[in-house]
Amino acid sequence: MMKKKSLLLIVSAVLLFSTMLAACSNSGSNTEKPSPTAPASNNPGNNGGGTEEPKGDAWEFGSEPLSFSLYYHYNWADFLGMDEYPATKWLKENKQLDIKAIQANGSANDVMATMIVGNKLPDVIWMDRFHQDFDRLYQAGQLVPLDDYLEKYPNLLKWAGKEKLDLLRSPDGKLYKFPNWYTDKSTNTAGYAINKKIHREMGSPTLETIDDLYKYLVDVKAKYGDQVIPFEPDRAVDGQGVGVLYTAFKEGALYDSVGRQLIGVPNGDKLTSLFTDPAFRESQKFVSKLYREKLMTQDAFTQTDEMVTEKLLANRVAVYASSNVTQKTNLAHSEIIKENPDDGYFVIWPFHKAGLDKNKIYPGGYDKLGWNVAVITKNAKDPEKIFAFLDWFTGPDGMNLQFFGPEGKNWKGYDGEGSPIFTDQFDPVEVADIQTKNTWIQIVGNTSYIDPAKMKMEERLPEKDRNWQAKYQSEITWPTGIDITEFKDLTPPTDSEEANIQTLMTELLTQVLAESSQAKSDSDVDKILDKAEADAKKSGYERLLEWRTEQWQAKRKILGLS
Amino acid sequence: MSETTTNKPYPSSSPGLKPVKKTNPFRRFWKQIDVQLMVLPGILLVFVFSYIPMYGILTAFMDYDIFTAHRIFENPWVGFKHFKAFFDAPNFMTLIRNTIVISLLKFFIGFPAPIVLALMLNEVRHMVFKRVVQTITYLPHFMSWVIVGGLVMSLLSTDNGSVNILLKGIGAIEEPINFLSIKEYFWTILISTNVWKEVGFASIVYLAAIAGVDPNLYEAADIDGASKFKQIYLITIPTIMPVILIFMILAIGSLLNAGFEDILILAENPLLRPVSDVIDVYVYRIGLQNFKYSFAAAIGLFKAVISIMLLTIANYLARKAGSSLW
Repeated sequence: MMKKKSLLLIVSAVLLFSTMLAACSNSGSNTEKPSPTAPASNNPGNNGGGTEEPKGDAWEFGSEPLSFSLYYHYNWADFLGMDEYPATKWLKENKQLDIKAIQANGSANDVMATMIVGNKLPDVIWMDRFHQDFDRLYQAGQLVPLDDYLEKYPNLLKWAGKEKLDLLRSPDGKLYKFPNWYTDKSTNTAGYAINKKIHREMGSPTLETIDDLYKYLVDVKAKYGDQVIPFEPDRAVDGQGVGVLYTAFKEGALYDSVGRQLIGVPNGDKLTSLFTDPAFRESQKFVSKLYREKLMTQDAFTQTDEMVTEKLLANRVAVYASSNVTQKTNLAHSEIIKENPDDGYFVIWPFHKAGLDKNKIYPGGYDKLGWNVAVITKNAKDPEKIFAFLDWFTGPDGMNLQFFGPEGKNWKGYDGEGSPIFTDQFDPVEVADIQTKNTWIQIVGNTSYIDPAKMKMEERLPEKDRNWQAKYQSEITWPTGIDITEFKDLTPPTDSEEANIQTLMTELLTQVLAESSQAKSDSDVDKILDKAEADAKKSGYERLLEWRTEQWQAKRKILGLS
Repeated sequence: MSETTTNKPYPSSSPGLKPVKKTNPFRRFWKQIDVQLMVLPGILLVFVFSYIPMYGILTAFMDYDIFTAHRIFENPWVGFKHFKAFFDAPNFMTLIRNTIVISLLKFFIGFPAPIVLALMLNEVRHMVFKRVVQTITYLPHFMSWVIVGGLVMSLLSTDNGSVNILLKGIGAIEEPINFLSIKEYFWTILISTNVWKEVGFASIVYLAAIAGVDPNLYEAADIDGASKFKQIYLITIPTIMPVILIFMILAIGSLLNAGFEDILILAENPLLRPVSDVIDVYVYRIGLQNFKYSFAAAIGLFKAVISIMLLTIANYLARKAGSSLW
């Protein structure tokens, strides 16, 4: 009996001890894991790294090893590592660059919060320009201003230009954001794509006005029944086809008016309510008519991206409208023409309400500041060297590496305009492969430089080999894009009263857009929008619009528009 | 052999059966030190992971800034500001109504369902069939809501959704029904999906309890001529009643947990928000997605207080019925 008891005692003691050990080892690894970088320092000035070169002199990228950590603040994209992309692999082998990956793995907000709380910020964060976390990091003084480096390194200032960089400046007058895909020309990809086979079988009718569109959709439904989706608005819960249709009802109407970042209509020098805009009411009545008469995907507000792509691939969509019409259609088109070279899709000049000028209809906009930004945090040991790399990466050498591979094979040297000179060994298949594989390392893209180079490349190809996407972008979507730089980044600072209103308004807009699109009758649309206007007023919509108007006018001044 | 049996006719007359003397509690503790040691890791676990983090509740009364990290006392105190903001939210009443309705539906349908399944499975005499059914019914429990949600959406989709194809095939409908965009259908879809996903797994514990019922009782009932239904009603259910009651108390304690992932995934269409928005989903969308941690903490605390009250009431009632948690 006694023996048994002491055995039990030993067993339970061991159990307890091992639990404690497990707990200890666990906490040990926890503290190490989120920081694959060198020990974090809050004070970049104290570091020995910067003392190696004389002050005032630019550091040459590649002359010494450079290592930093990089984090994509997105749920759907991660930097995977130096060996995963042709461009970074080459940089690792030839330029002594080592970027360490910190990955969000689908939960960007959680990972970010953990890093902030643990004071283990990555050296470089790639994020949305309007993300609240930027504001948070800025207010906490965690970011490195880039102003000191701008003059020292040639590319960013040259290609982006002073005006755009001024727009990116924060309230303290300093520049923290390194832009991606900044441009002077339209980059719009919103619009409508038409299914070639169905269009042909319907007798190739003209498709120009909203009435043409409606008649076409009715005829398609009568002929094909459930086999074909007459109108596919993509993920309507995000606006997409519903917002694109709105632009058809007023000259100069903005897709972004229906977007969560603006929720307003420019009227003279003021932003006014979206819900009382006659064009919006008219377009929502049209949308709800399409919905009621089952001319539009009934799953529009629930479907996923995959479901949309599947329908396009299956050749079952007659008219497709999206804020990025070339992307999914490009994929579907290239699959379909493998079997039926005459089928596929074509992009059409945007629809307009009869009586309006079709050249003043813009289904989408473009932002001169591009898309997202890279920021350097104060945890970076050597912010200047990181900037030097980013600046090199956004310059001609970096862009050509990302688009055409290392110098020597597909291109060699530059012509008079600074574009790469393509060699005789130029291999279009290899170049397409390089571009696809490098897509997710293009964090400081330079549209101003690379678009002319891409066009030059396309011109070398015979008509049939030309990229479908490039063709319709240059012929239709780019020319039908409107400059909306002045309407971007009208996001109130976190924790301000306006930010709370914005949260409520985003909620309201999402619901109203869905409700009015799925309304039972035209008078229902009016009822829903009247109620939305009343609810919006209660939430403080007018105050938000006033705040936005003020910011918008300030931006117009910087841009020299007023 | 025979000697021992005569000497000790009842081997169970061990010290354990002797009346326990009231001794010094410390001595009693020391006597069971081996058993007590085994409890210790459990207590430690609860203390470290449930009690220590509780200081975070304080952020519900502050304007918490995540850059202060664990130095939370540097944040300004704001009293009941965040509670007030929640009570003043434009859709507060909708949230409360949906939370209560959905959790009550889940309770009244989702709670008895596994008991019924267990009782039915218990009557199945064909062992292979029983095992197959059991396995098939509990498998969905291990699928994440993302997968189940995708499955439901594909099934109910208007475009090539199996349910619509079936209904059209048998001539019940002319045009496909957009199930996931009609407010009236949402609760039914939500509850049935939940039952489908969890019924098998939840029934395991009841099956185990049923297995513990003395077979002699059934034999006796058989001889007395009791029907199968009478046996279930008069023997099986009363015997497993304590288990049912305990699980019921626990279910009542989590009554305000109307669900989160399931609603978030199934109610993608904003049109459904008037019937689908519950407290947790709202906290996620407004609080966490906008980094309003104090706001989220305040609503969490509000929910916890009500849950404890419900739990206490349920336990009080159960104690009257003779079987309670404490």
